[in-house]
Amino acid sequence: MFSFRGCGRWVAASLTKQHPPSARLSGENAAPGTPRFDVVVVGGGHAGAEAAAAAARCGSRTLLLTHRADAIGQMSCNPSFGGIGKGHLMREVDALDGLCCRICDQSGVHYKVLNRRKGPAVWGLRAQIDRKLYKQNMQKEILNTPLLTVQEGAVEDLILTEPEPEHTGKCRVHGVVLVDGSTVFAESVILTTGTFLRGVMVIGLEMHPAGRLGDQPSIGLAQTLERLGFVVGRLKTGTPPRIAKESINFSILNKQTPDNPPTPFSFIHETVWIKPEDQLPCYLTHTNPRVDEIVLQNLHLNSHVKETTRGPRYCPSIESKVLRFPNRLHQVWLEPEGLDSGLIYPQGLSVTLPAELQEKMITCIRGLEKAKMVQPGYGVQYDYLDPRQITPSLETHLVQRLFFAGQINGTTGYEEAAAQGVIAGINASLRVRRQPPFIISRTEGYIGVLIDDLTTLGTNEPYRMFTSRAEFRLSLRPDNADSRLTFRGYKEAGCVSQQRYERASWMKSSLEEGISVLKSIEFSSSKWKKLIPEASISVSKSLPLRALDVLKYEEVDMEVLAKAIPEPLKKYTECRELAKRLKIEDWGCE
Amino acid sequence: MWRGLWTLVTRAAHGPRSPRSCMRQASGAPAPGSGATIFALSSGQGRCGIAVIRTSGPASGHALRSLTAPRDVPPPRSACLRLLSDPRTGEPLDRALVLWFPGPQSFTGEDCAEFHVHGGPAVVSGVLQALGSVPGLRPAEAGEFTRRAFAHGKLSLTEVEGLADLIHAETEAQRRQALRQLDGELGHLCRSWAETLTKALAHVEAYIDFGEDDNLEEGVLERADSEVRELEVALGAHLRDARRGQRLRSGAHVVVAGPPNAGKSSLVNLLSRKPVSIVSPEPGTTRDVLETPVDLAGFPALLSDTAGLREGVGPVEQEGVRRARERLEQADLILAVLDASDLASPYSCNFLDTVVTPAGAQSPNGSSQRLLLVLNKSDLLLPGGPEPSPDVPPHLLLSCLTGEGLDGLLEALRKELAEVCGDPATGPPLLTRARHQHHLQSCLDALGLYKQAKDLALAAEALRVARGHLTRLTGGGGTEEILDLIFRDFCVGK
Repeated sequence: MFSFRGCGRWVAASLTKQHPPSARLSGENAAPGTPRFDVVVVGGGHAGAEAAAAAARCGSRTLLLTHRADAIGQMSCNPSFGGIGKGHLMREVDALDGLCCRICDQSGVHYKVLNRRKGPAVWGLRAQIDRKLYKQNMQKEILNTPLLTVQEGAVEDLILTEPEPEHTGKCRVHGVVLVDGSTVFAESVILTTGTFLRGVMVIGLEMHPAGRLGDQPSIGLAQTLERLGFVVGRLKTGTPPRIAKESINFSILNKQTPDNPPTPFSFIHETVWIKPEDQLPCYLTHTNPRVDEIVLQNLHLNSHVKETTRGPRYCPSIESKVLRFPNRLHQVWLEPEGLDSGLIYPQGLSVTLPAELQEKMITCIRGLEKAKMVQPGYGVQYDYLDPRQITPSLETHLVQRLFFAGQINGTTGYEEAAAQGVIAGINASLRVRRQPPFIISRTEGYIGVLIDDLTTLGTNEPYRMFTSRAEFRLSLRPDNADSRLTFRGYKEAGCVSQQRYERASWMKSSLEEGISVLKSIEFSSSKWKKLIPEASISVSKSLPLRALDVLKYEEVDMEVLAKAIPEPLKKYTECRELAKRLKIEDWGCE
Repeated sequence: MWRGLWTLVTRAAHGPRSPRSCMRQASGAPAPGSGATIFALSSGQGRCGIAVIRTSGPASGHALRSLTAPRDVPPPRSACLRLLSDPRTGEPLDRALVLWFPGPQSFTGEDCAEFHVHGGPAVVSGVLQALGSVPGLRPAEAGEFTRRAFAHGKLSLTEVEGLADLIHAETEAQRRQALRQLDGELGHLCRSWAETLTKALAHVEAYIDFGEDDNLEEGVLERADSEVRELEVALGAHLRDARRGQRLRSGAHVVVAGPPNAGKSSLVNLLSRKPVSIVSPEPGTTRDVLETPVDLAGFPALLSDTAGLREGVGPVEQEGVRRARERLEQADLILAVLDASDLASPYSCNFLDTVVTPAGAQSPNGSSQRLLLVLNKSDLLLPGGPEPSPDVPPHLLLSCLTGEGLDGLLEALRKELAEVCGDPATGPPLLTRARHQHHLQSCLDALGLYKQAKDLALAAEALRVARGHLTRLTGGGGTEEILDLIFRDFCVGK
C-alpha cells in the first residue's frame, strides 16, 4: 500500500467542478461517461475529510462529494480542537495517520494541556485554532492526497443493487445520484452529512431550512434513507453569537495564558508551527442575574428551547443553563477565532433568542458592555439515524457497503466526527478489497468506546466523549495511542505511512529497552538517597531499590535519574517524548 | 424414564416456529430469550399428588388455548378447572387447574401459563408432549425461568440467589432467611451502598472531565472523600457480621465433647433422632469423629460426635482424641457432656478445667466460641439428693435415657444457635454467600486504595473497582448512571 504514496505514479487529487477526470473510468455496465470510484464520501466536514483521506491512504480510488469545496475543513462551531476525552480521540486518529492532529499543529493559536495535575491518563490536549488557517491547511492536505478526487455537488439519492449473499442486508449500494441527475458509481459509499439531513436553523421564532449558516439542507437523501427503513431521530444543537474583538474591554477580565512550550497533538511532530510567545490569550467573564432575567422574560420568543428535541446536556444553551441551574453565575470564555480575525467566540453563550435580544443580553455581561454582535447565535435541528443500525465497522445493517460517520450517527464534536471518519474510510476501503473489517474494541481505544456505545446503546442526545465513559482509562492514555493503534493500522488496514510506522516502532523498542535498563540498575536506599537527595526515599528500607522504583517518586523524572547515573541513562533523555513516556509508563504501575 | 421423555419432547419442539418469534428475529431486536416460549415440569420429579407444569414466553397463551380448546383462556391470575386434551389428536389428558399470567405481571415478566395436573408420570409426560407439539414451544433449560425473570428485571441477582436458597431451604430458619433475601433486603442494602459510591465516583469523574474549565462548586472532592469514609465504616461493620449468614446456609458446627462414657453418643443419637453412633457402657467406644447434619430447633447444624477426652490409651484412641481436640477448635458451639453422677472423677475435673472453663472466658481475639454444659445421666442422681457440686459452671440437667430435660436443652440450643447463625427474623440482613463477602471485602479493599492513590485518575480507578464489586451484587453499574448524576448535580459544558 505504502509504495502507492510518494512514488509519484498517481496524479495528485484535483478539484473538479462536476467534471471528474474521465481517464480513470471504466465503462463496463455503465452509461458512457459515468464515473466510477472505489469509495465515494458524501460530505466534506470533519468526518468526511478524514474518511476520504483514510480511504485514499488505504489505496482506494476515492471521491469526496461536497456542497462546496471551499467549505472543506470548516470549523462551523467553536474555534478549538481537543479537550479531555476529545484530545484522547484525536491522538488515536493521529495514530491511524488521520489528519486533524497534524492540521492543528499547523493552525493553533493557543495550545494548552488540561488536567495537568490529575494524572497522565486524563491529560487533555487542547488548542484554540485559527479557523482560516485550519481550513486552508486541510484543503491543501486533501487536494494533495494521492487517489483522492474532490467534486462539488449535492447527493439526492443512492443507487442500489442486489445484495451479496454472503453478507446480511437487504440490498447493496452501488453509487449515488446527484441533484442534477448525474450519477457516480461506487463500490462503497460513506455518508457524512452532519446536520444537513432535514436541517433547520432557528433564531427566536424564525426557522429556516439550512444545514449550516448559508448552506442548503439535504431533503431528498433524508427521504431516501427513511424509505429504505432506517429509523430516524431528531436532535438539536446550537452555536453562540460572534462578537467584534475591538468592542470588548479585555483589560478588566481574567486572562488565560497558553502553555509555553506548547505540546503538539501529533505523534510525528516535535513542535507546533507558532512561536510560543506569539500565541493568543483567552479571557474569562461570567453571566449575571440580568442575563437570567432576559432569558426568562423572553422564553415565549424562543421556539428552539421549547421544542422537545433533545439537545446536548453538556453543551447546553444559556437558556437551558438558566432554566436548570438558576441563580448562578455561568462562565463565558472569550476565545480568539484566529490570528488576524476580528471575531471573538463567546464559549458558553450558545443562544437562540431573537437577534436584538441576544445583543441586549451580551451587553449586560462584564467586559462586553460595549460589545458589537457581528453574527447572532442560532440553533440547528437535524435528523440523525439510530446508530444501532450500524455495525462496529460503521457499515449499515440494512444496506451493504453503505457507511455512516459523524453527526449522522448522533454524535457531536469535530473530534468524534473525525474518529468515526477514519474508521469508516478504512472499512469502506477494506470492504472493497474483501478484507476483514478493522474494529477497535473498548479495551483498545476511545474510538472503540465511542463506536461500541453508539452501536450497542444508541443515543438520544448528541453523544460526546468523556474519559468517564472509558472503562480502561488508565491504559487508554493520550501518550500511548500509537502503541495501541499504529501497528494495527499499518498491518491490518494499510492506512499508516511508513514514516509513522517506523517512528512508532522506534518508540516502542526504546520504551521496552529503557524499562529493562531501569530494572537492571539496583542500589541500596541509602545510596539512592545520596544520589538523589531531593527524593523522599525512605532509608529504613533494607531491600535494594531499582531505578524503576525510584522513578515512581513524584519528584523524580528521567532527567533527574540521568543526572545521577549518566551512564547508561543519559541516552533516554535525548528524546524528550521518550523520557516523558518512560515516566508515565512507570507511574501507574504498582 | 424421564430422560427418554425429554428427547421425545425436544424433537417435537423443533417444529415450525411461531410467526411472532420469526418476526422478532428478523427485526434483529435483541429481546431477552429471543422470543422462544419455554416449558418445564416445575414441581419435583417422580410420582406425586399434584405436578405443576409452567410455560413462559409469547406463545404461552396459544399453548394454553391449544390444550384447553374449545374453551378460551381463563381470566388473568385466577385458577380455573379445565379439561386438557392433546391438540393433535383431541385425546383427553387430565382434568386440571390452569392459571394464566399475562406479562409483564408474571414471575418471568413474559406471558406465563401454569398447569396443575395430577402427578402420575403418564399424565405429566402426556401434557409435556402435548406442549412440545405446540409451535414455538421448547423445553426450558435448567434455570431458564429464573434467568428470564432476571433478564426482565423481575429479580435482582441477590434475589435470584435468594430464590435458589428458598428452593433448597431445608429448615424453617433457612426458609425465612431465603424469603428475606428474596425480598431484596440484602439487595436494598447493597444498592444503597452502591448509590453512595456511584455518587462519590460521579463527583470525582465530574472533577476530572469538567473541573478544568467549568465552574463546579467548591468542595466536590472533599464531599466524595467523606462519603467514601462513611461507606468504609458501614462496610466494615457489616463484614464483621459476615460469618453468621454463612453458617446459616451451610449449618453451624456443633461438637459434642466430654470425657469417656459421659453419654456423648447417646446425646448425638437423641438429637439426630437416629442411631448415628454405637452406644455401649464401655468407655472409648467412639474413636473417630462422626458427623451428621441435623435440624436443631429450626437451625441447620452439623453435629459431630467425638472420642472421649483422656490421656494414655492406645494409639488408635489417641488419634481419636487428637481429632476430637482439633474439632473442638473449629466448633461454632460446643456441647460439653459430663456424667452428672461422676463429677468428681479425674476425667471430669480435667475436662472442666481444660475445655469448659477456657471457653467461658472471653478469648483474646474476640471470636465467639460458645459452650453449653450438659450434665447427663440425671436419672442416676438420687431424687431429692444433693445438687451437683456448686463449683460446676451453669449447666443443664438431662437424661438421655428418659428424655427428661430435653425440652430445656432444645430451648437453650435455639438461643445459642440464633446467636451463632443470626436469627433471620431480626437483625441486619446477613451475608449468606461467600460471594457476597468476597465482593464486599474487595470493595472495602479498593476504598483503601482510593485514599493512597498518587493522582486523581488512579483514585477514580479505585472507586470504579469498588463500585464494580458492589454492582456485581446488585446489577447495574454502567457509565451512563455516572453521567446522569454528573449532569443532574452540575452545570457543566460550555
